Amino acid sequence: MLIPLNYTLRSLFVRKAATLLSVFGIGVTVAIFAGVLALQQGFTTMFTGHGRTDVAVFLRPGATGETDSQFSRERGMKLIKSLSAIEQTPNGPLASMETYSGVLRKRVDGGEVNVAFRGVQPATFAIRGDEIRILEGRKFDPGADEVIVGRRLVGRMQDCAVGDVVVINTTPFRVVGIFDSDGPFVSEIWTDTERALAVLDSYGPNRVIARLVPGTDVKALGELLEKDKEAPAKVMTERDFLESQTKMLGGILLGLGMALAVIMGVGAAFTAINTMLSAIASRTNEIGILLATGFRPIPIFIAFMLETLLLCVLGGVAGCLLVLPINGIETGTMNGQTFTEVAFAFRVTPIVIGAAIFFSVLLGMVGGLWPALRACRMTPTEALRRT
Amino acid sequence: MTSMIRVRNVTKSYSRGGETLKVLNGLNLDMDEGRFYALMGPSGSGKTTLLNLVGGLDHPDSGELYVAGANLADIDGAELARWRADNVGFVFQGFNLIPVLTARENVELPLTLTGLSRAERRKHSEYALELVGLKDRMDHRPRQLSGGQEQRVAIARAIASDPKVLLADEPTGDLDRKSAEQVLDLLARLNQEFKKTILMVTHDPHAAARAQSIVNLEKGELGRIDHNVPPVAAPVR
Amino acid sequence: MFKLVWQNLIAHPIRSVLTAASVCIAILLLCLLRSIVTTLDAGIQASSAARLIVMSSVSLFVDMPISYQQRIATVEGVTTIGKWQWFGGVYQDPSNFFAQFAVDPEHMFDMYPECELDQASRERFLATRNGCIIGKQLADKFKWKAGDKIPLTGALFPHPDGGAWDFEVCGVYTSKAANFDDRTMMFQWKYFEETLRAGGQDPGVGVYIFRTAPGANVERIMSEVVAMFANGPMSVRCAPESEFQRMFISMMGDIPMLLGWIGTAVFVALLLGCVNTMLMAGREQIHDVGIFKALGFSNAAAFRILIAQSMILCTLGGIAGIGLTLALKPMIATAIAAMFPVFLVETSTLVLAVVLTIFLGVAAGMIPAWRASRLKPVDALRAGA
Repeated sequence: MLIPLNYTLRSLFVRKAATLLSVFGIGVTVAIFAGVLALQQGFTTMFTGHGRTDVAVFLRPGATGETDSQFSRERGMKLIKSLSAIEQTPNGPLASMETYSGVLRKRVDGGEVNVAFRGVQPATFAIRGDEIRILEGRKFDPGADEVIVGRRLVGRMQDCAVGDVVVINTTPFRVVGIFDSDGPFVSEIWTDTERALAVLDSYGPNRVIARLVPGTDVKALGELLEKDKEAPAKVMTERDFLESQTKMLGGILLGLGMALAVIMGVGAAFTAINTMLSAIASRTNEIGILLATGFRPIPIFIAFMLETLLLCVLGGVAGCLLVLPINGIETGTMNGQTFTEVAFAFRVTPIVIGAAIFFSVLLGMVGGLWPALRACRMTPTEALRRT
Repeated sequence: MTSMIRVRNVTKSYSRGGETLKVLNGLNLDMDEGRFYALMGPSGSGKTTLLNLVGGLDHPDSGELYVAGANLADIDGAELARWRADNVGFVFQGFNLIPVLTARENVELPLTLTGLSRAERRKHSEYALELVGLKDRMDHRPRQLSGGQEQRVAIARAIASDPKVLLADEPTGDLDRKSAEQVLDLLARLNQEFKKTILMVTHDPHAAARAQSIVNLEKGELGRIDHNVPPVAAPVR
Repeated sequence: MFKLVWQNLIAHPIRSVLTAASVCIAILLLCLLRSIVTTLDAGIQASSAARLIVMSSVSLFVDMPISYQQRIATVEGVTTIGKWQWFGGVYQDPSNFFAQFAVDPEHMFDMYPECELDQASRERFLATRNGCIIGKQLADKFKWKAGDKIPLTGALFPHPDGGAWDFEVCGVYTSKAANFDDRTMMFQWKYFEETLRAGGQDPGVGVYIFRTAPGANVERIMSEVVAMFANGPMSVRCAPESEFQRMFISMMGDIPMLLGWIGTAVFVALLLGCVNTMLMAGREQIHDVGIFKALGFSNAAAFRILIAQSMILCTLGGIAGIGLTLALKPMIATAIAAMFPVFLVETSTLVLAVVLTIFLGVAAGMIPAWRASRLKPVDALRAGA
């Protein structure tokens, strides 16, 4: 026969102060775990969630990203012309040569960071379609010293409002528009490829992007291009490309989250064990009575296990509530792969909540086992004598 | 003989569950130095309350209370604690030994409040334990002792710092007949040989019979006083 | 009295050990998090005021022409000047990341007295066309020694033959200061430049580093250098080394702040845990406190008994945490090397750990101790054995 759940609930309620303190202690631990996870979620969904599979990224063979890839202009042109897999429109192929660099910008709250500075050709906007949405002002005119600025930079970096001037090398660029995008472009500054090449004193673009004819086998295309004599290139879908760019920081955040979870989890489990051992010590007499009444050790084990689980899950819920307000808060850090700053928001997704609750259940299991075993192993006489 | 304990118009009430309960109602009582008193009365008559007041564990609401020369109504806090350490020893029904300390460490506890050196404390505590016949068990924890032994350790602790007054609250209440007799013998001996003034709250007429005087309390007021042994000087009023 | 405190602690061995262990864990975490932050600052502190850095005004992504070296050298007060270029080579696999620079070997050791290398190795480095020197930690990691060949695939600068660059280790240097990383490889500029030119490529320069004559007006020199290239082809910024280091830290963005937050939260979680334990201990000892008071112990004594228990647990935990931090230091340094190349535990961190430990002990013991001191002996005794 099982011990009524009421017993468990009452027991927690009677020790209000101890229960509250344990719940909060465990809650803070869960909140940290969930917070770091929310950071990781915000970061990776921004990148991988928005990479397209019908857009291909072409890099120099051997390059790991845009920063270490470069083509000459001629080679880029040749690549675009030679590929039948690139979709054609009346205005020409849907392909664009892009430059990529970091420019040092001052943060509003002090300090300087590398902001991604991208030169694009008009075809980029045709490929992207409504992925890039102008929120304010207009697009830059090709050939003019004008830039548009990603929404996440506004308010974080200086000189990022429409009408402001951004000096790059010796050239002043006027900010003519603010754009929004769901992907990582929202932390970038965009201008015309030709202007970017000129001011950076650079000999060629860093990558080519193109929309592919539906049904193109990107892998086969990649193998073909890798061996090409005239214009060899490394090719992958944009989704794969973005994923490869986030491995390092995403991995660090995940690793940090896990390491913190393990270390702090041990501490939280200790708190749970302490609380339950004390609860059992002060209830030895009760256990004796339960045993004397005829309850078997297993229901007693279950009752105390449930009590710990409940304590920890309450902590888990408290942790989730603590972490909810950070949902949507924007933060920024350097992506170790590209050396430029990415701004992204904490995202408390269902995955984060699920992981947090799972974590708290795990804490309850680990923390409850020993005290519950201790309680159920008492003999009635022993329990009744030790008052 | 002078009065060791002098109670004058003492009142004491407790509020419990919103209701005020008058426990002592203008009590007057004198107790002589070196005498063994038993304090009897039905439940709720104020026996333990009086004992706690005399021991300086609690304050009277009004009235005067002289014990061992000090007016307890006037002193408070650290001074009162100090007074307790110097003048009274307690023996409780539930023994009240510190479970984590050994018998000797328990007995030594009140001595740490005196200026005695470590070696002297050791000597005193061993002597006290010898007196109660438990020198051979002095390194045992309370849980390893029987109830009677625990109570004798508690008595050793109460006398370790050589107080003038011993206060015992149902010291035999939790004990079997034989252990109870041993404890009562011990108290009688402390009274006879060491001239301790003893005030013992009890329900048990057998225990009370060992005292020299039996003070009866009824509803917070003084009742009859029986003398097993006639007082030396003027009778208590 | 101490005996009593101690006996109370060992009467609940599990609880005491668990509490001390969780304090230990928290102090360990705090020390680690703070060390990451202070290590970043240590680079600034240790940087030399005599060294100035010139870089493109755009960012480190962009190179400066090679011709700038001679022009900067003409500025009055500039003594030695050297080129540095980030090579970004890959050894076998990208996960084996370490920093490599092409440098002017002649000026390398004058410029960086922090870099310790014996005379024979220095001469060998100067004399070997494809020679390189590597830091002690790097050498230990890959078990490299003088005479070994290191093949690197040029990710930023592919070798014109399409193969790997081959470098010969001429010596292993050690670092004397926090701002000089001993996980780096430096190799001959000449080899770098000549190889690239053979493939028809003009190498640029990432940064110029120069020293100034003693007593020179650094402000004037900096503004002269900047003015010299104000009209292009590549405008520059010039700053003392400390400024440069600071820029690197600010690139970390909000990470140091987040670490600070995590540290605070850890501390709060722990404080709650300790308060809880001490409350339990306090509750269990209410009856004992009653006995003490009856025996004549003062309120202050009751207070001390409980606070001492808390202090002892926290202190033991804190000492263990500090010890563990020092013991695990090398392991942790390796684990986080990818993001934070240097890892130092400062004395101030240890001092902070001690202060926090004491604070924790007092804070956790305060409530039960205060309660114990306020208890009326009569009530405490009634609280059941």
